[in-house]
Amino acid sequence: MYKADALDLINRFKDGDTSAFEEILLKYQDKVYNLCRHMLGNSHDAEDAAQDVFLKAYQNLNRFKPEASLLTWLYRIAINTCIDYRRKPFFESLFKNSKEGDVFVVDHPSDSPSPEKLYESKKISNAIQLALGRLSEKLRTVIVLKEVEGLSYEEISEVLDVSIGTVKSRISRAREELKELLINFREQK
Amino acid sequence: MICLKRKLVSPYIDCELSVEERDLFESHINECRECAGEIKRLQKMHELFADAETFKAPHGFSTRVLANIREKETKRFGGFVHILAKSAEGVVVLILIFVGIILGSFLSKTLMSEKGNLVASLSLDIFTPAPPDSVGGVYLAMTEAKNEK
Repeated sequence: MYKADALDLINRFKDGDTSAFEEILLKYQDKVYNLCRHMLGNSHDAEDAAQDVFLKAYQNLNRFKPEASLLTWLYRIAINTCIDYRRKPFFESLFKNSKEGDVFVVDHPSDSPSPEKLYESKKISNAIQLALGRLSEKLRTVIVLKEVEGLSYEEISEVLDVSIGTVKSRISRAREELKELLINFREQK
Repeated sequence: MICLKRKLVSPYIDCELSVEERDLFESHINECRECAGEIKRLQKMHELFADAETFKAPHGFSTRVLANIREKETKRFGGFVHILAKSAEGVVVLILIFVGIILGSFLSKTLMSEKGNLVASLSLDIFTPAPPDSVGGVYLAMTEAKNEK
């Protein structure tokens, strides 16, 4: 059903119905943004990268092969875009991380039942962001796709175009490193 | 000493083991405190991720994306129009050169058919010799006599 919906949207886009792209954008924007946010660690770069992802998707949607999953395809574009963003010159990030920018972009937690819970969640998020930032690019990518996006090993291997064995070993290594980096939080729980 | 089956902990908590692998590993966990401890540690970490924030796209994100796409498309279209205008200029120049060549050859043909041989029409042979008693004839006779001296 899910794949059929996505295919219908793609076919409508290929037939010249640009409103189909708006539907794709609204459907996947949160997932793509969440991925970029965890990969890049700040909201400014995350929004820029997520915008780039959808621009690339718009320009290449006509070449999309229906046998692939649209979300997997978007994730692949997002991962490559985020890797490019992380390789940007240092001074560019410095410029974009100015406090003025922070006013405009606000992240919205998906559920915030109480201020205490929200505070706790923010604290954990910050710790996770710091820990993810200390992982290598390859390990950060697999762990974000697994723990944040909840993809299966097979889906991750499709997104990254690597074998399932590679995914398995990278996830184990990433968890091994994260375990040390998040030791304080794990003990509090 | 590290248990050799510890590498199965990650796929186990991710439910990525086959039924047989899972059954075998579960019976192993009952005997191996190291693997059992590792499962607990990784599950706690998994819970940390579950408790962390999920970020949603900021307000107006889709509007900004669509505006960005429109802007890029307009620029692309503008570039296309510019290339088209330059190509048209080139085509006009080529047409003018071609028309010039055709017109030139047509005119020269007309001239030749009207006056016969164009080269012959420009030859000095068409002039008649000056009469000896005319001013020109006297001048020529004087010039020849001077040259003979």
